[in-house]
Amino acid sequence: MRLYSVSSEETLRARKLLTDWVGEGFLSKAQYQLLEQETVSELRTTNIFLRLVLFLFTLISVGAAAGLFYVVARPSEQTAGVFLLIFAAVCYAVAEAAVSQARLYRYGIEEALAVCSVVFLCVGMQVTFFSTRFYSPKPDAAECVVPAAGVVLSLWIWRRLGYSYAFLAAMIFVVFVPGYWTSSLAAQHLIAAVFYAIGLAGVIAVRSRHRFDYLDETYSLVEAFLWLGIYLTINLQLSSLNLHGLWWGSTRAASEFARPFYWTTWVLIWCLPPIVLVRGIRQKDRFVMAVGAIMAVLTLVSDKPYLGWKRHTWDPMLLGILLTGAAVFLRRWLARGPGGIRHGFTAARLSGKDKNWMSVGSTVAGLLSPQPPAPQPRSPDFRFGGGQTGGGGAGGDF
Amino acid sequence: MTRRSDIALRATCATRHNYSHFSAWRAWRMYHGHGVPGPKDEGFMTMLTRLERWKAQGTISPEQHAYLSGLSRGEPFSLFLELNVLLYAGVLAFVAGLGWTVTTWSQQLGDVLVLSVLSTILAANFWYCFSRGPAWSPIETPAPNPIFDYVLYLGSLVWSLELAYIENRFHVLSGQWDLYLLATAVFYFFLAYRFDNRFVLSLALSSLAGWFGLTISHWPAHQDAAYREYALLYCVLVGAGGAVLQRLGMKPHFFGTYLNVVANILFWALLSGVFNPQGYGVWCLALFIACCASLAWGLARRQFAFVVYAAVYGYVGVSSLFLRSFTDETAVLFYFVVSGVAMLVVLVQIGRRFGRKA
Repeated sequence: MRLYSVSSEETLRARKLLTDWVGEGFLSKAQYQLLEQETVSELRTTNIFLRLVLFLFTLISVGAAAGLFYVVARPSEQTAGVFLLIFAAVCYAVAEAAVSQARLYRYGIEEALAVCSVVFLCVGMQVTFFSTRFYSPKPDAAECVVPAAGVVLSLWIWRRLGYSYAFLAAMIFVVFVPGYWTSSLAAQHLIAAVFYAIGLAGVIAVRSRHRFDYLDETYSLVEAFLWLGIYLTINLQLSSLNLHGLWWGSTRAASEFARPFYWTTWVLIWCLPPIVLVRGIRQKDRFVMAVGAIMAVLTLVSDKPYLGWKRHTWDPMLLGILLTGAAVFLRRWLARGPGGIRHGFTAARLSGKDKNWMSVGSTVAGLLSPQPPAPQPRSPDFRFGGGQTGGGGAGGDF
Repeated sequence: MTRRSDIALRATCATRHNYSHFSAWRAWRMYHGHGVPGPKDEGFMTMLTRLERWKAQGTISPEQHAYLSGLSRGEPFSLFLELNVLLYAGVLAFVAGLGWTVTTWSQQLGDVLVLSVLSTILAANFWYCFSRGPAWSPIETPAPNPIFDYVLYLGSLVWSLELAYIENRFHVLSGQWDLYLLATAVFYFFLAYRFDNRFVLSLALSSLAGWFGLTISHWPAHQDAAYREYALLYCVLVGAGGAVLQRLGMKPHFFGTYLNVVANILFWALLSGVFNPQGYGVWCLALFIACCASLAWGLARRQFAFVVYAAVYGYVGVSSLFLRSFTDETAVLFYFVVSGVAMLVVLVQIGRRFGRKA
């Protein structure tokens, strides 16, 4: 099912590990040059910066091409929908061709084409089959085929091309499906959580076969997404998307759900983080551990709104002390083990990637840190202006 | 092998004695080809199989094989990044809560108590840093312990908070915020260079930008000439300062941070000039020169972020020029198709020649 051969992906992984190890001094330059020749892959890759910018310009080109077609052809609404479906097929076919013929691997172009195919498919289906119901307040149950198609195509792209964000997209589409089946909010939350739980069971069953190969990281990320998805669907304070209310102690969610359901979810948000953390630690799974930690913090943050308690201004300070204390304790505890290692864990840096992340992260974090308010420039000739297209023919200047 | 990998190897050997029986059994099975089977494919070889082969060929030593096999299996498993993120989040949450509490309760708590608490935290942090900090060196100096950088970062943020409080309550400098920002920037630069800390260097650069009137919150509202001039002056001063310090060998590893900050502010400033309804010609020329310089620097130094800056900012500039001439939607969409494909072709060529590795 996968478009890339196993050996080429494993070879790429081996090449990345070699580059990391030589950077850390675990291998000499001479050894690297010898081993490098054994890890030559036929796949065409690029660096993260060019990948991002190629992705962006492919999106611009494809989006503009689709727009141009409609501006020039001016088709009827349903014809437009059919053409969108054709565009989806074309985009997907070109993405497949870019991989199979040009051997592109995480190159940005084929990724953007795959993303466009999902967008065109969903919009095309909506316009073709349900265009008359676009603005209907009560959705038709049959309309669920639109997000369902998004789920299926995203999952297919994930399996075929291996993009973890395609799996995330599938999870987001899943959120919209229950809304077409029932108006009960509790049932919607439950259905989404059940979908994620089924996916999680499947991923856990499959990934044990790939513990030490290149697929392990992919499955790890997907498992982490699914755990987080389950958590977010059962945490009624977070999934209400009322973050302002959450911060200021609103208890909106309490009145919208039946009491047994509400308090069951409260119990679950306390039970899930330790389960996920323990699983991450036992599996030595970075992403699952990280999600476990995120869930624990979110539980602490959303607990007061859940209980209807008032939030205090010093709550973030207590959270900060807890996080810092946990980090310092863990680091010291690990460092005191023989060779700085306990139960196979160490606080020491073993990869050059970590150093790069720290370097970039500290720069960005420092730039985004809170600062005292800045002065306004004293500009004597300050004036409003610059607009090119004012509404109703108004000019840009005042 | 370097001293670092030697230490790591010894650490691994120490761990090996501490492995549970299950881990040892699993490791033995992997070494002897009884491990969990991977995907079936002709020529498929996991990293562990490759390492086994390289050891048999004599390309790597048995010690390297043992250590690298362990790393491939995640043994030992490094929590370095996670612990750093936890520390950073903890410091940020603490300072946010401190600021919120001070803002909300300053009337009830009283100035003496607030300033005493802030000054105590500040003094404790800086006492820790100056007493535990390593001797100054112009080259890259590792922190004496893993929490050191975060203590310094906390101290720097509390410094900002205390200054803001003093000015808001007592108006010592009669609202002359620019002087506070300048003093803070100078102080942060001193701390960054003294303790080799990128967090604080970034704080210094953003404080200096604040002094030049460049906070992001003010930027999009008024794209007036004053901001642009300040921004260009900032870029010249910071860029030149960073280059001089690098030439003098003073923490040359900071130069990348200077360049990235300067490049982004410069491009924003030039773009704001290009967006001007009149007199934008000179800004277009300046943007073109900046894009060429950024592209050349990125390709020569293999720093592809600068290639991206040149491509994205340059494209935005050229597109704004085009879009002010054409309002017909067909022409506009045609432009985006053609220009997008042209950019793709150019970037693919660059990628083929230069960009294989990140």
